[in-house]
Amino acid sequence: MSIGEYFDFVLTRTEDMYNIVQYEGHGSFWLVFFIGIVFGGIIQYTRVDKFEKIAGFAMGKDTIIPKMLFLAIGITSIALYFEIKMGYASYHVKPMILSGLIIGGIIFGIGMAIMGKCPGTGPISIAEGRVDVAVGAVGGIFAGWLFTKYYDSIFKPLMGDSYGKETLVTISGDSTTLWVLAYGIALIVIAIIIPKMELFDEGDLERLEKEERPDIIAQREHEEFEIVK
Amino acid sequence: MTRRLSWWMGGILMSLLLLFTFSVFGADRPIGASTYVPYYAGILFGMDPKDYTYLQEIEKPGAWEGVMLLGSLTGGFITSVFITKTFRISVIPAGWKAYKNNSVKSRLLWSFVSGFLLIIGARLAGGCTSGHFMSGMSQTAISSMIFGGVVLVTLLVTGKFFYKKTKES
Repeated sequence: MSIGEYFDFVLTRTEDMYNIVQYEGHGSFWLVFFIGIVFGGIIQYTRVDKFEKIAGFAMGKDTIIPKMLFLAIGITSIALYFEIKMGYASYHVKPMILSGLIIGGIIFGIGMAIMGKCPGTGPISIAEGRVDVAVGAVGGIFAGWLFTKYYDSIFKPLMGDSYGKETLVTISGDSTTLWVLAYGIALIVIAIIIPKMELFDEGDLERLEKEERPDIIAQREHEEFEIVK
Repeated sequence: MTRRLSWWMGGILMSLLLLFTFSVFGADRPIGASTYVPYYAGILFGMDPKDYTYLQEIEKPGAWEGVMLLGSLTGGFITSVFITKTFRISVIPAGWKAYKNNSVKSRLLWSFVSGFLLIIGARLAGGCTSGHFMSGMSQTAISSMIFGGVVLVTLLVTGKFFYKKTKES
């Protein structure tokens, strides 16, 4: 491929991307872009993209990630169940590819603890100027290339067979509503009872006014926290 | 002005965003954030979808997440500059300095390796924190509960052995 051909290829593919999103019935380009803005905004505003939050959780020094995550899943699972029941949404469940889920989960967990990011929060850290995360993205792009190239020969066989797309709804028989409610409430309760602990980065806090600093607020509320510089 | 959103406010807002995205008024699909990586890799490395079955499989979700990524970069940037005031160029996270080491080379090398692992792992499992953990477990999917359990345990075990117990002085 010459440079000119490569340039054309990239342009055509980018145009394809726009057309798929604009016309394939899953929102329009601007709607999906807007969902991204809100997603990035929530993650940045709660600071859950920070190394100190994700790697801090792995070290047992910060619990904001599990608290926020379990609360979000708990609320959504109950509301989504009724949203789908009323016909305003539908299920999009991922298959139970057992070896893929277990091998993938282990590799992913190791990567997440070391990087202190996941694929959703990483870009938001890049957007706030984290050079190390940009280097991680290069590693990720390289992984994406390798996965695509050897999908048929290595990775697809490694993922194993699918055992269906089961959910609590499909396996709980007559008492589905009860099971979903119990599941959602249990997650919300877990989110609330996990003790709140935070690991703060002084580099982030020093730019704030005294009354805006989350560590001052945590101190006032007698919460557990630690500051690193 | 509130410079930080509490975990419960964040959880509620994230839940509303998920419900909107799932609904027919939104995008009628879940939120996901790892399929865009092989999708963009395909574009950057000049890979023609005709030659790669994986690119054919992810053509639609990849494009969707590719656009969402552009939005989250924008949203993250605007929020970090105007609200949280956290925009600055930095190489080593403070937590890494305190509990691992002070070496730029070490952090960048580990970043590359862990970025690589994140994507291989996510693609093998068919999702990441967004697709499996948030969207999948919200649909009470068994596959996502298995993934979530494995990731949670591995994350905590890795954190225990990879980082130092006590702070560097």
